[in-house]
Amino acid sequence: MIRLQNVSKTYRTDKVETLALKAIDLHVRPREFVCIMGPSGCGKSTLLNLIGLMDRPGSGTILVNGAPVSSYQDKHVARLRNDTFGFIFQSFHLINDLRVIDNVELPLLYRSMSSSERRSRARAALEKVGLGARMDHYPNQLSGGQQQRVAIARAIVGEPKILLADEPTGNLDSKMGEEVMDLLLQLNAEGTTVVMVTHDEREARRAGRIVRVFDGQLVYADAHAEAAEAA
Amino acid sequence: MIRNYLLTAWKVFMRRKLFTAINLACIVLTLIVLMVVTALLQNAFFPTGVEGKSERFVQMIMFQSSHTEKGGRRSGTLGYKLIEQYLKPMKGVEAVSASAFPESVSVYQQDRVSELLLRRTDTEYWHILDFKVLAGRVLNADDLAQGRFVTVLNQTTARKLFPGQAAVGQKFSAGGQTFTVVGVVEDAMQLNAFADAWAPITTLPSTEYKDKLFGQFTAMILARRASDLPAIKQDIMRIAKTVQYDDPNTFNVARFWGDSKLELFSRTLMMSETEDSGAAKVVAVIVVLMLLFMALPALNLINLNVGRIMERSSEIGVRKAFGATSRQLVAQLVLENVLLCLAGGALGLLGAAGALAWLESSGLIPYLKVDLNLPVFAYGLLITLVFGVLSGVVPAWKMSRLDPVHALKGNA
Repeated sequence: MIRLQNVSKTYRTDKVETLALKAIDLHVRPREFVCIMGPSGCGKSTLLNLIGLMDRPGSGTILVNGAPVSSYQDKHVARLRNDTFGFIFQSFHLINDLRVIDNVELPLLYRSMSSSERRSRARAALEKVGLGARMDHYPNQLSGGQQQRVAIARAIVGEPKILLADEPTGNLDSKMGEEVMDLLLQLNAEGTTVVMVTHDEREARRAGRIVRVFDGQLVYADAHAEAAEAA
Repeated sequence: MIRNYLLTAWKVFMRRKLFTAINLACIVLTLIVLMVVTALLQNAFFPTGVEGKSERFVQMIMFQSSHTEKGGRRSGTLGYKLIEQYLKPMKGVEAVSASAFPESVSVYQQDRVSELLLRRTDTEYWHILDFKVLAGRVLNADDLAQGRFVTVLNQTTARKLFPGQAAVGQKFSAGGQTFTVVGVVEDAMQLNAFADAWAPITTLPSTEYKDKLFGQFTAMILARRASDLPAIKQDIMRIAKTVQYDDPNTFNVARFWGDSKLELFSRTLMMSETEDSGAAKVVAVIVVLMLLFMALPALNLINLNVGRIMERSSEIGVRKAFGATSRQLVAQLVLENVLLCLAGGALGLLGAAGALAWLESSGLIPYLKVDLNLPVFAYGLLITLVFGVLSGVVPAWKMSRLDPVHALKGNA
């Protein structure tokens, strides 16, 4: 589904050059639940952003469904993000000026779809995350857990093949974090591929595969993962 | 999608009310000034109403005389003889008029004295200019031929001299002559029409004016079609070469030009003494000044908009992450700007209409009658849209090119 081949990423400022990722090879298969773990600053989020085409690699190749995306134009990458990926961010990134329902509709705005269908899909996504009664609220009228569930509804409304979640429980208390994790596991069980960055070992153990990053490189903690990667 | 854009735009405007108000004020004030200036310029150079035929007449005020050998030189206004003898016989034109510059005369009425601007004209003058007659009639050929002491007043003067009474048929004394009012016309402020009262040329106290090449007259030459004007202008320059002086030892070369209203203004401003009146340069200067005047608020708007768009980098990042293309984002952000500018444009139009109405009623420019007509509205709309695009497209394009991850972090 997604394959990273010898991918590296370097951040440059005027004086400093930081190697964020070095020669990463990673294959994410359909229906997997992959957890990316590692200490702060090791490159987990950078890796997730590269998988989701949110950033460009310095070198190496990213293949989506077998095709390299480096030669894609802006509109093709945008189409791929819209069709294939759903994003969940640690700090939610909801648009506070828009109602919950309008936030959830956002990915569908960039598809040719009638407004009534958009509205009905957004409503269904909100029902799925248990926020059917909060459609007309504004994000800042909701708790952190509810906001993250709105973000999940927004991520799944377009029925993406892969859900990318960057520490989705990082800003939540344990109970709300648990609820969000349950939701992601449920979506994975229904067939959506999930790639999640987390610090929480307990959460990671609930996932199917753990990928560990250290100093910008992949290190495999368990033989199962290494064997899977080599396959 | 448009609904979502409009909703977002409305929320953004309302979230930062002060910012929106500053943006709007910037646009409105600039537009008011620009539109008032354009309306006044249009009124001056391409008027409707009394000088509505200006697109097919040329006018002449200045006349230059020199001597090829002795170096004598004189520049002055036209004399009646020049118009009568050299211009009136022109072929292929509809009419040639002569009118004196307005002279200040004192009007004595019982216990008060008023100052009036009296203009002496021929009958062609009334054919070329479209005065709106409110009462009575304008001057006719018999008035001229018989030297009748009759006059036409404008509305304000009629009210001033004869408050509460019908002016037609009334008599008054001006400059030692007694005139009978035969008509009242609507007030007009255009150059050729400007006066408080009009009387036949033949009422001038002396007939000396008939023998002078230099004098206090102005001529208008009306073409049958606007397309005839270039040939008429050439003909006028040809006629200048045929002028005969009473004393060829003083002057033996005459030069004069037929100018449109804009050309006459440019010739006077640039002191041009050639066939080229300098109108193109004047128009270029006006356009550059207008662009400069627009550039300052536009730069300010760009600055404000960069701040506004940077502030929304998270939203831009989210939209990109969920599939918005750079082009769609630019369209959204520019649409917001265009909406703001159109709102500013609408307010600016109202403000400009108010400012012009105030200018008309204040008497700062006597007899000014100016409307916000369709061309001025079109200029305003165009200027507004240029504002919208200029101030939105640069920051929007810059932000839209960012990778989503950088936009989400606000790393513009």
